[in-house]
Amino acid sequence: MKIEGSWKLAAPRETVFRQLMDPRFLARSLPGCEKLDPLPDGSYQATLKIGVGAMKGTYQGRVEIVDALPPESFRIKVEGKGAGGFVKGEGKISLTAENGETLLNYTGEAQVGGVIASVGQRMIQAAARQIVDQFFAAFSRTLLPSPASSTPSGGAGSPAS
Amino acid sequence: MSVKLLGERIKRKEDPRLIQGRGHYVDDLPLCNMLYLAFVRSPHAHAQIKSIQLEEARKMPGVGAIYTGKDLDGRLGLIPCAAGIEGLKIPDHPCLALGRVRYVGEPVAVVVANNRYQAADAAAKVEVDYNALPAVVDMDRAVAPSSPLVHESLGDNMAFVAKLEGGDWKAVEADASVKVLKQRLVNQRLAPLSMETRGVVASYSPGEDTLTVWSSTQIPHLLKTQLAVMTGTDEARVRVIAPEVGGAFGSKLNVYAEEGVACFVSRQFGQPVKWIESRRENLMATIHGRDQIDDLEIYYRPDGKVVGLKCRILADLGAYHQLLTPAIPTLTALMILGSYNIPAVFVETKGLFTNKMATDAYRGAGRPEATYIIERVMDLVALELKLDPVEIRLKNFPPPGKDIVLATGVSYDTDNYQKTLKKVLTLSSYKKLRREQARLRKKGKYLGIGLSTYVEICAMGPSSRMPAGGWESGTVRVEPTGKVTVLSGTSPHGQGEETSFAQIVAEELGVPYDDVTVYHGDTNQVPMGIGTFGSRTTAVGGTAIYLATQRIKRKMARLAAHKLGVKPGEMVFRDGKVEREDGSKSMKFAEVVGEAYFAKQLPSGVEPGLVENFVFEPPNYTYPFGAHVAVVEVDGETGEVSLRNYYAVDDCGRILNPMLVDGQIHGGLAQGIGQALWEEHVYDENGQLLTGTLMDCAVPKAHQLCWFETANTETRTPVNPLGVKGVGEAGTIGSTPAIVNAVIDALQPFGARHLDMPLKPEKVWRILKQGPAQAA
Repeated sequence: MKIEGSWKLAAPRETVFRQLMDPRFLARSLPGCEKLDPLPDGSYQATLKIGVGAMKGTYQGRVEIVDALPPESFRIKVEGKGAGGFVKGEGKISLTAENGETLLNYTGEAQVGGVIASVGQRMIQAAARQIVDQFFAAFSRTLLPSPASSTPSGGAGSPAS
Repeated sequence: MSVKLLGERIKRKEDPRLIQGRGHYVDDLPLCNMLYLAFVRSPHAHAQIKSIQLEEARKMPGVGAIYTGKDLDGRLGLIPCAAGIEGLKIPDHPCLALGRVRYVGEPVAVVVANNRYQAADAAAKVEVDYNALPAVVDMDRAVAPSSPLVHESLGDNMAFVAKLEGGDWKAVEADASVKVLKQRLVNQRLAPLSMETRGVVASYSPGEDTLTVWSSTQIPHLLKTQLAVMTGTDEARVRVIAPEVGGAFGSKLNVYAEEGVACFVSRQFGQPVKWIESRRENLMATIHGRDQIDDLEIYYRPDGKVVGLKCRILADLGAYHQLLTPAIPTLTALMILGSYNIPAVFVETKGLFTNKMATDAYRGAGRPEATYIIERVMDLVALELKLDPVEIRLKNFPPPGKDIVLATGVSYDTDNYQKTLKKVLTLSSYKKLRREQARLRKKGKYLGIGLSTYVEICAMGPSSRMPAGGWESGTVRVEPTGKVTVLSGTSPHGQGEETSFAQIVAEELGVPYDDVTVYHGDTNQVPMGIGTFGSRTTAVGGTAIYLATQRIKRKMARLAAHKLGVKPGEMVFRDGKVEREDGSKSMKFAEVVGEAYFAKQLPSGVEPGLVENFVFEPPNYTYPFGAHVAVVEVDGETGEVSLRNYYAVDDCGRILNPMLVDGQIHGGLAQGIGQALWEEHVYDENGQLLTGTLMDCAVPKAHQLCWFETANTETRTPVNPLGVKGVGEAGTIGSTPAIVNAVIDALQPFGARHLDMPLKPEKVWRILKQGPAQAA
């Protein structure tokens, strides 16, 4: 499953990058995040409670950020599993400065297994999209000074397939 | 004369209880102190099990125990495979995975709890750490040397290679007029999908040291033997009961992990244990059907005579063998020539391991694939030579009624393919349909007419050719009150043999139909048996009952003759009497029964009582045949195919109850049409099952079908004294190619030659989009 899209964030690129690297902001922005603990190897141990369609349930997993090139880009690796099955994904996030604001592009591949895969694969993309949107909506609110001005850019509210 | 029963539309004895919801299935069984099972299943198609953490799950309320593969290792036997194929590789198949999982849905652990909800909740808390491995999904890649291996210890993914070659290939090669046509056909994976999922209750009584198992199965007796071996229980202390079974279609002709585990757990606890399969489990962990790729080379002459057929079959067996998994594609090879006398044949079958659920017998089991191949062959050649599909079939049929041995080595019991074809052409007004088609095409409407003339192999079968015996037992007991009890070793589950068996016995004994009660599916009641599959129940099991009835009649005739002072050979059974043909000497049926039980004046050497058993060993299979015509309409804009008419003429030998035969044909047609148009069980490239719910897994519904026009010819088989052949699978076998041939026929203005099933609107639409064929 491919996920991609972009968001426009009303904050300078450096701020966006710094906050994306900060587990406190991430934990607040990740929908249903119950735990996001740093591990000695630099990755995070996460517990997410997801309530979207077929992906509903509690997931335990690991989030790892690699190839960080501040303030331009980083890659993120996610591995999670729960009673509903497993999710495994890798994505790239790139930030472009635009008049003091930031255009964030993300692209990634996710693989799901178990019940999540068998219960309507066709619904998963929409569910994943919803989770990503919830994340950026919440994340943009954590950005100062004016969180309300953040919006998805150019109607990129649906994944390009 | 007695009331005529055989050949009549007698209403089913089964129906009053079933349609009123008064039947009893496994899940309806209430037992005291019942424990419930929930299985933890692999979400990976292929992975190493690194660790299993049970602490959290054990703390959950109501949990009695949790077992993993290691706990069962050496304590519960492996899941058996009965297929006998030379050089077959049989990997170990433990009931719970040991160290590695090889398909999505493979059981990894089992939770035992006080109720099913607690069991399910605790199962969700079992933490399994997997190390995911590359999955083998695609068959073409599975055979490549670079492919990952499903079973590393076996060296490759090839479970077996079987070759079947016959006839005169030199003559084919020497004939300069022979042309060759190549085609690949994909016969997609399907889910058998019975309305009732699987289910088992195992109850071990420590005091009596007996194990009683209620299972939704087609083979109670075979299951009893296997469960005794797997659990190490004295077989004389194991009883298997198949209560009401809500459909099976071959999927319950098996011994499953969950049955073994339920018995193991019940023995551990000394309490009854229940497991009922969920629909999701049913779709991923009950056997699947079909799944073949068939690469064909068709050798034909310009006059339409097909002179040789080569087929290379890749059969997707899944990760492990279930009971008959590898045997199924070998039936395709055996029946690949269908109803045609093609003088040379070569079939190479490769059975492949993949990281998917096992395939096994699904209604037709290997023969729908064969029929699909040969019926597509006929239409492909007809298309090439611009012949009518009827013409090419007539050209390749053997002459009627002659015993021939085909190039495959198979010899059919009876044949008259011309007769069924002629009948279906009349029934469907074939010529008129062709004229209508031509008219509609001019208006831009696409009517398709598809033909299929099949022959199948059933009434399985002679023990010499069956893995675990092909006989069947029948017992008839006339009770002291004159009522009749019939016991069959078969295990019908919807086919209606409680009715047809009672018809046989009542007519033979001249007693009222309502006085006969048929029992099956309880190994403590029925002395021995094989089960219900391979369209064998009436042809083999019914024959056993018929022959046991003859033994009863001989004994009763002797008792009556002794009493009346006449010869036993003079006695006839009619209208509740045993009497001379002219009625001059007569006894009531009940009086003769009294003689047997009161035993005051028995002829010397005659034992008291009236119970007889017969074990019938069929000398051959039977080969029912038929001809079907499907009429479809293709929507020129959306590509949607709708079924307009369906005509089926089937020859299943003598018909005991036309209503039961119709019922079997109707259900079979629905499933065969379902494969052609809608159904496919899909795994993605990582081995994840995508059609895991009924939202995603297409099942034919009544409104998608049309009125079926059915008719029969009756060519009795000499293989059994009843002359019946079997009809359980015929509808499925005959219909799939008829539909595909019809759709391709409808798409002739667009130059279509072949499309793989299911013929969903998208595939058809792509053909329509290409526009009218050049110079068509």
